[in-house]
Amino acid sequence: MTPFDQTRKDTPLRSSSNMHRYLAIIIMCGGIFFLPSLSWSATLYAKQEGVKVTTGKSPTSAVVTKLKLGEGVTVLSKAGRLAKVKTAKGKTGWVFTFRLSSTKPKGKSGSGLSGLTGRRKIAARESRAGGSIRGLKESTEQYVKDKQIKQEHRDAVDRMEAFSVSSNELMTFKKAGNLGEFSGGAQ
Amino acid sequence: MKRLIILSSLTLLFLVLPSTGISGFLDDLLKAPSPKKEQVPPPQEGSIEKSPNKESPDLIQGLGEAFGIKNKKIDLFKKGLGVVESLQPIGEEEEITLGEAVAVEAFSRFGGEYPNQEWIRYINLVGKTVAEFSDRPTLEYHFSILNSQEQNAFAAPGGYIFITVGLLNTLKNEAELAGVLAHEVAHVTHQHMLETIRRGAILGSVSDFTLSAMKKNPEMFSNVIDEMTEVLFTKGLDKEKEFEADDVGIEYAYRAGYHPQGLRDYLKSLGKEEGHTSSRFFTTHPSTALRISKINMLLGGYSDLQALPFLTKRFQQFLQTS
Repeated sequence: MTPFDQTRKDTPLRSSSNMHRYLAIIIMCGGIFFLPSLSWSATLYAKQEGVKVTTGKSPTSAVVTKLKLGEGVTVLSKAGRLAKVKTAKGKTGWVFTFRLSSTKPKGKSGSGLSGLTGRRKIAARESRAGGSIRGLKESTEQYVKDKQIKQEHRDAVDRMEAFSVSSNELMTFKKAGNLGEFSGGAQ
Repeated sequence: MKRLIILSSLTLLFLVLPSTGISGFLDDLLKAPSPKKEQVPPPQEGSIEKSPNKESPDLIQGLGEAFGIKNKKIDLFKKGLGVVESLQPIGEEEEITLGEAVAVEAFSRFGGEYPNQEWIRYINLVGKTVAEFSDRPTLEYHFSILNSQEQNAFAAPGGYIFITVGLLNTLKNEAELAGVLAHEVAHVTHQHMLETIRRGAILGSVSDFTLSAMKKNPEMFSNVIDEMTEVLFTKGLDKEKEFEADDVGIEYAYRAGYHPQGLRDYLKSLGKEEGHTSSRFFTTHPSTALRISKINMLLGGYSDLQALPFLTKRFQQFLQTS
């Protein structure tokens, strides 16, 4: 058999092999070009409920929208501690970057395998002793009683839990100290 | 060549999968069944999870019955899973319950609550500002001052954070206070105490650590609190956890807009007392010199610190006028 004949015989195989090679390259190229847009796009998520998106860089400028916990936004640009974002509904505005997270916040921890065993770990909050809104949890009350801890220390925890700071007071505090959204020159 | 195609396709599939709904489906499969609103029992005494296994037929039970497996074998399998589950993270409600009991112990062992509501308001404002920009901003944090001259600060699980009046009196500015509180917030966000007791002798052998289990077994609850207070007030956490809290706390203070050098500055003044003063702080924390040197390295990584404040004047005004 001449080399010419051999070449001619191999042609169908070789073309099939080439086709596979092209197909593999297309798949890999597809992966390289399309994956970043699927998995690594500049999407950040609200770490809290009610994260403000404002028209201007100042935290006191008009509010465009408030993000829900875990709501994703696309980052268009960054300026210091702020990010210009676009919401899923197409609204654009500025957000303090440290109110956003690169990972979508999960619900409360501790479910894990509970679903398989049928336990509902966080199905309900433990009631306060005596059914009141204020007061320590029943397990703590029992503990305090068993250990004969003084009432004043139990009451101190009660006061600690009941102590509240309004969002307005916190905002005024941050503004006066150039903290949080007011930090890094934003006013 | 076929192998190459299969390999490429599989690579593509595995990379794309996490961004699709399939992973969400798998997560949902592992989640506890979410009860309908009207099925949630009202918060009354003894109304929580009386017999959860009987109340909600679960996935394993269903699959077992479908394949004709005997109930005894299903229960055995579930018990095994229970042990594995004890290594799972502790739920937030359980964490808060543990923290509350530890908080009572903190007041009991460190002179009770410092009776100055204005100072307590101030440390709450600083602490909440830092916690707002932490990795766990949805948790409700509580801050208080302990009436002890010993220099110390603690974090109990669930967001209960304490600073002694002795420590507060040594601080020079708000950035130092924010640095100390941010370090404690980091212990909470990274669940350092829970991680420690989860691997400990008591919880390591407990398969059911739910709210109802705590209530049904006060002795077990008490033992867990004893273990936690022993770690918090006597032994101290792992050195690595303290270094991590320094690292993360500095980041939280920076995010909140404080100059992140605050913690280092406080440690520098504390370091001068090391060897001269007997404080549990020195026995429950790694060497101050080592912490300072590690923090110095971390601070080198921040480039835009010039504009960030120490707030010395405001700190002094708050503490002197109230």
